[in-house]
Amino acid sequence: MSIHVEHIYKHYGSFTALADVSLTIDSGELVALLGPSGSGKTTLLRIIAGLESPDNGAILLHGEQSTQHSASKRGIGFVFQHYALFRHMTISENVAFGLRVQPRQHRPPRRVIRERVQELLHLVQLDSYAQMYPEQLSGGQRQRVALARALAVKPKVLLLDEPFSALDAKVRKELRDWLRRIHDDLHVTTVLVTHDQEEALEVADRVAILNQGKLEQIGTPQSIYDSPASPFVYNFLGNVNLFHGRLLADLSSEERGSGAEQTVQSAIGFVRPHELELSRKLPPDWKAVVASVVRIHAAGPQVRLELSIVGSGRPVTAELDRRRYEELALVPGEEVFVWPQSIRLFDGADAKSLLLDQGAGI
Amino acid sequence: MSGRGALPPSALLRASIQQRVGRMVLIVAALVFLAVFLVLPVAAVFTQALSQGWKMYSDSIYQEDVLSALRLTGLVACISVPLNMVFGIAASWAITRFEFHGKSLLITLIDIPLAVSPVVAGLMYVEIFGLHGWLGPWLSEHNLHIIFAVPGIVLATVFVTFPFVARELIPFMQAQGSDEEVAAVVLGANGWNVFWRVTLPNIKWALLYGTILAAARSIGEFGAVSVVSGHIRGQTTTLPLEVEMLYNEYNFTAAFAAASLLTLAAIVTLVLKKTIELTSGVHQPVEEKEVQS
Repeated sequence: MSIHVEHIYKHYGSFTALADVSLTIDSGELVALLGPSGSGKTTLLRIIAGLESPDNGAILLHGEQSTQHSASKRGIGFVFQHYALFRHMTISENVAFGLRVQPRQHRPPRRVIRERVQELLHLVQLDSYAQMYPEQLSGGQRQRVALARALAVKPKVLLLDEPFSALDAKVRKELRDWLRRIHDDLHVTTVLVTHDQEEALEVADRVAILNQGKLEQIGTPQSIYDSPASPFVYNFLGNVNLFHGRLLADLSSEERGSGAEQTVQSAIGFVRPHELELSRKLPPDWKAVVASVVRIHAAGPQVRLELSIVGSGRPVTAELDRRRYEELALVPGEEVFVWPQSIRLFDGADAKSLLLDQGAGI
Repeated sequence: MSGRGALPPSALLRASIQQRVGRMVLIVAALVFLAVFLVLPVAAVFTQALSQGWKMYSDSIYQEDVLSALRLTGLVACISVPLNMVFGIAASWAITRFEFHGKSLLITLIDIPLAVSPVVAGLMYVEIFGLHGWLGPWLSEHNLHIIFAVPGIVLATVFVTFPFVARELIPFMQAQGSDEEVAAVVLGANGWNVFWRVTLPNIKWALLYGTILAAARSIGEFGAVSVVSGHIRGQTTTLPLEVEMLYNEYNFTAAFAAASLLTLAAIVTLVLKKTIELTSGVHQPVEEKEVQS
């Protein structure tokens, strides 16, 4: 079932949680709503679920206006950050709940419910836990029960509100892969809210990035990573170095030779740590800054170097692969040339025309 | 490593002895206080009640007036406690699950019966329902008796025990949060199902705890009931009033025999209360249970 979010506004007092958010989620798609806390992503999810009502705008489920339907009639599965399992019910009672509370004429017979519960517990690999209580399970297991419970009513849409954020890193990664496999099997339209960019980029078919109640960008993980639409998106998707510089007007070579240097405006270039090149020799085009090595983190496949730009003292982080690092054999305190292999500007200017200031970096 | 490790062993020893002595003094003081102000009086009640022997004790209780007072006390408790349960659940549900104007006012109002002297509570009802009160003429026209009759006693008791269930449930339900209820709603449950299958099972121990406190208070209430009761022997005297009347008649053995029944009720309450605390975790730090996720 497709979801159309149309011009949704939501205010809490003077706080604007969502301002004119529109997006479309296709049937069978897994979309991640990604953003920092307070960006409105959970509010949007709860509005889709019918747990909150928008001040303005509409939610269309399968092309049908759903804003009138209450949460209990939308055919939605919802998974909460803190599981929200019924603590006084066993695991199988938890999973069966959604089926047992259906009005009599729709309620499946007991035998069918029992089979469905078994099937779901098998799906989430918790067959032998059926008679246990939630508090006897680990966090990861509880969240799997919560997912089974949500799937029991055969929802047309599955909504997950930061489902893995209360779990430790290793379990989080396992569950993330597992969720993707389940989604590939069942093809339920799924919306996942997360503040973890790695999680969003890895699991989702498409990622929608929210910031301060507005939709910044939506696209496939690769497209938003490779061509972020705004400094915010660029920043949010990974570590970033900022290089201050000046944009030069498009000078012809003879003008440049005459020494008539025209500073048009200052600008900020965005560079990821792995896009930085370091060397003891000045690059051929002379476009580099001098920085001193402050600290070296050599644990892991990538070596991370904290640098300080000589002059401004602004910090810059660079990541080198291990072989390059060993080739350079840098030591803390040493000064090196640093230049970006690629640089991104967000005001439409051509990155090639950026001259880096020695006082670059933030 | 700071101060502690640097101290010479003798100083450490002295400090630990001082600590131990200080602790002993406090414990002894607390025990003496308990003995003088709690254990001794309770023992005195039973000693007095049994001072003329078991025969006299049972005769004092098996008196028509005492038995009728006992029945009335039971009746009042049986009416006021369920009323308070319903009110307590409704108020805590409203306060912890919804946002509305006047919510803080409602929370304050719930506490009024605890702040007001019970005598004042009784007088309020006399002012409203008494013969010369606001509704008095209308009531007497229709031959309805509230003051100096059982309905007045029930009203006064309900007022005084009002806060017990709600005050127990509100912090408990706040700590539990509404996630489970929201989950139930999303799964398609209607309000009825949410209440009976999710909310009530989750709050049952706190509810029972509050109910027991309310029951204990309704059995023991004196001040408010005294004002509205009229002290008609065998008709509008509850057990605490009966105790007072017997005492004022210098019938000490009978007074203490009746008092011993109230004391027993209190002891039963305490045991129940403690049992609930131990079996359910109500009134134990909530965090301990939540952290393990």
